[in-house]
Amino acid sequence: MLLGIDVGGTHTDAVIIDRGKIAARAKVETCRENLIVSLDAVLTKILKPEFKQSIDRINLSTTLTTNAIIEEQLEEVGVLTVAGPGLAPETFNHNLGRHFQLFAGAIDHRGTRQRELDGEALNKALLQLRKAGIKVFAVAGKFSSRNPEFEDILAAEAAPYADFVAIGHKISGQLNFPRRLATAYYNAAVWRRYNNFADAICGSLEKFNLHAPLNILKADGGTIDFKSSRSSPVQTILSGPAASVMGIIALSSIHEDAVILDIGGTTTDIAIFAQGAPLLEKEGASFAGRATSIRAIKTCSIGIGGDSLIAIDESGAVKVGPQRPGPPLAFNGSAPTLLDACNVKGLCALGNMEKSWAGLTQLAMEVSANMVDLAEEVINLALKAIHNRCLQVLEEINQKPAYTVAEIIHSQTIAPQKLFIMGGPARVFAPELKKIFALETVVPENFDVANAVGAALTRPTQEIDLFADTGKKRMLIPALDLRKEIDRSYSLEEAREDGINALKNSFEKYHFADDSSPEIEIINAEEFNMVDDYSISSKSIRVSCQLKPGLETDYRNA
Amino acid sequence: MQRLKDLGVIFFPAYDWAISPTHPEREERLLYTQDQLREEGLFDLANISEYKPEIATYADIDRVHFCFPGAKEVSTASHLVAAGGAIKAARLIMEKEVDKAFAMVRPPGHHAMKVVHGNRGFCNINNEAVMIEFIRENYGRKRIAIVDTDCHHGDGTQDIYWHDPEVLFISIHQDGRTLFPGTGFGDELGGPSARGRTINLPLPPNTSDEGILYVFDHLVRPILDDFKPDLIINSAGQDSHYSDPITNMNISTQGYAQLNEKLNPDIAVLEGGYSIQSVLPYVNLAVLLAMAGVDYSHVIEPDYDPDRLRQSSQITEYLQKLCGTTLKSYFNPATLNVKLNQYDTRIKNIYYDTDGISDQQVEQIMVCGNCSGVRHLTSKTDRCTSSMGIEIPLDACPRCRDEGYRLLDEARRNFRGNTIKFINRLEREYLTVNEFELTPMGRYYF
Repeated sequence: MLLGIDVGGTHTDAVIIDRGKIAARAKVETCRENLIVSLDAVLTKILKPEFKQSIDRINLSTTLTTNAIIEEQLEEVGVLTVAGPGLAPETFNHNLGRHFQLFAGAIDHRGTRQRELDGEALNKALLQLRKAGIKVFAVAGKFSSRNPEFEDILAAEAAPYADFVAIGHKISGQLNFPRRLATAYYNAAVWRRYNNFADAICGSLEKFNLHAPLNILKADGGTIDFKSSRSSPVQTILSGPAASVMGIIALSSIHEDAVILDIGGTTTDIAIFAQGAPLLEKEGASFAGRATSIRAIKTCSIGIGGDSLIAIDESGAVKVGPQRPGPPLAFNGSAPTLLDACNVKGLCALGNMEKSWAGLTQLAMEVSANMVDLAEEVINLALKAIHNRCLQVLEEINQKPAYTVAEIIHSQTIAPQKLFIMGGPARVFAPELKKIFALETVVPENFDVANAVGAALTRPTQEIDLFADTGKKRMLIPALDLRKEIDRSYSLEEAREDGINALKNSFEKYHFADDSSPEIEIINAEEFNMVDDYSISSKSIRVSCQLKPGLETDYRNA
Repeated sequence: MQRLKDLGVIFFPAYDWAISPTHPEREERLLYTQDQLREEGLFDLANISEYKPEIATYADIDRVHFCFPGAKEVSTASHLVAAGGAIKAARLIMEKEVDKAFAMVRPPGHHAMKVVHGNRGFCNINNEAVMIEFIRENYGRKRIAIVDTDCHHGDGTQDIYWHDPEVLFISIHQDGRTLFPGTGFGDELGGPSARGRTINLPLPPNTSDEGILYVFDHLVRPILDDFKPDLIINSAGQDSHYSDPITNMNISTQGYAQLNEKLNPDIAVLEGGYSIQSVLPYVNLAVLLAMAGVDYSHVIEPDYDPDRLRQSSQITEYLQKLCGTTLKSYFNPATLNVKLNQYDTRIKNIYYDTDGISDQQVEQIMVCGNCSGVRHLTSKTDRCTSSMGIEIPLDACPRCRDEGYRLLDEARRNFRGNTIKFINRLEREYLTVNEFELTPMGRYYF
């Protein structure tokens, strides 16, 4: 049996999946001040005695790090950086706390050291930081994913003063120094809080006598094992929306290009699938005003949900959202919302219908319109706004740059064939949305626990990037801190193999519930000749591979 | 610091196109630039966005060039994408989606002339000209200034706009006595109807930042202030850098950035730049930052040494004099000995260095008091092809328009060659006469 728990912003959900069926489900309100209380409560509710011994694996999604970052409950971090030529520090040193330090030194795009690291300044800075009581550090260097030597030095020098050091190249092997820097910073800033929480989780599971392996959900629709999460807690942000998206895959069958809408009270979240797989953010999630290198399922929000306020603006035009005045009138709210309009239009009959009618009547009088017409206009406006946002998102995705002639000519565009809708008002809006989108529309069963189902079934994911320079006779996989000397004849084929093997090895000990081996996919493999003095002298090889996001067992067919 | 501007970047490195594997114009020329831009997180800056190039059509090319035997034969898909990148830049600016645009595309284009038989100076299709004519075709007539900052004389662009009084072409390059293509001297000032609309400033080898910035302040700025263009285009070569392997100049990354700040172009289109590993990434980055109004002062080459690069006092004095005489040539160009309402003839011998073609052209332009004049040329190459081009310009007067059709009629009866290309910008009629059979152009679809 697989136990999935999603500690969300409002509710904490849990499901137990047994041979492809939901064997148990539980929902409690989340106690934001102490998430462990919610965890205990949901476990108490779901863990009937007969389940306790049969839980094979626990997957947990938590808002702890997300909240810590949004609410700025962050520990002060000593941020040690080397940038060299490029953008001014003001473009990347903001929102990184009060202890940002930039040292002279430069590494170029090939990983060649162009200027030595200023060790003297580093030592001085470390003494200062120690005086200031700094205990956690983030180190990041430009082009560290091509040559991590400066980050190694920074980390080694900081280690004697540190409880924890977050290191840029281990977070991502991709190019984007400001993102690696911000991600390393957040990782260090939430490290202690997350580890205290992790200790409490251990205590809690002990209390319930649960000893199954524990994994934590990530934003890319995959998991990380509990032990690894302790040194990269930042990976656990934004895991809630990812769990829901994975849940939808479990609850429906998606094999085509599709749009997923999760309609809530305040917002509607949009995710896009390409041939049955959720699209990821190109470089990483943007979060709390900073772009990061955290792999994440691409989701976009629009401020329209069941509780969106209906208002008349100065010009007499009707508006819906993004404000949310509280619950709808039908549920004793204070102002008319989209759901009240649905009651009036006859799309649903929820709560106290009379109050919806009364509210809409008053609005209709203000604009001298027929009440039912007004309700229809409001609903149309809201759903068209959602549709337009989806079109906009698709347009952005389809506009993504291409760098070869072949790609430009044979560019693949995403053209959704199906619409999946979940969330509280899903059934209310489905028929209307179907008309507007003109797509086959599905509201999956059990969508209200999609997040917990997604959590339960999600498999581990990881992406690694390999960079090899045959001129420098060097191959490295920054995320695994793996470096190897290669000869000049090292080929793209060898690089692909090395990448796949390295990723396989890092998952050797992982317990896959359905005994299938992980599916490793090469995302990108390129080689470029590097020419010196008009003769081809060496090769630059870049390979990225990933453990694909996916589900442990096929819930539908089991 | 200056105001931030919304910058659109059309980045197209054409990783699957090269002249040959070790040619300076090869696949990975922009690879390291891309690495640098990605590592800097440039496109995460709120005011800098990346856009996908369009694909130029053969019609876009046939509007500009006389391609023999045809646009399809002298271009590859890469050329259509590079020119399409420039078109995208133009569209972004004309639709006011961004304040500035940089088409960082390859292959380059500024050595491609009015007549195209193949590749010369790494260029087949003139990206800037395709872009400008796209603008004028779709957004109406404009006054446009092209400032060519490539180290090599922009002879192709000069040739295309030689007779166009509404397009000012200024080229600042290493002296033609010391570098390909060996042209671009002060006395090349444009044809009879566009005198002073072509300006060349040959820089002596080893000119440094000081020199090129002086030229901007004392030549380019006063000319632009007088010409008052609707659009300024930088034909942006990055090969005057001190580390470039195929030139002899001493411009630094900071010099390039300042030059762009001074020029303040609406659109930049990438041309050359062959120090692809050590410096091109920095120069491209700094130029993009300067266009976007973002602080570029930290983009400094690791080996930058201003003392080593300082230009001699002779160069400084030489440039002061040269700027003075060149400015005079703009305001009071030496007049040509031509007769109104008669054809003026230019004989051109053009060598296609990459493709090894020799072309002999006889070009005739009507010296017209009312428009820039109908153009008529014949081209004979050593590959035994003989071709003819006739162009009725955008501003053609009724007489020159009718004269264009008279020339076409006559050529169809008497021309004993392979191909006739006919461009009527006024009424947007574009024709190819092959083997004396009239076929409408624009039948090529990509």
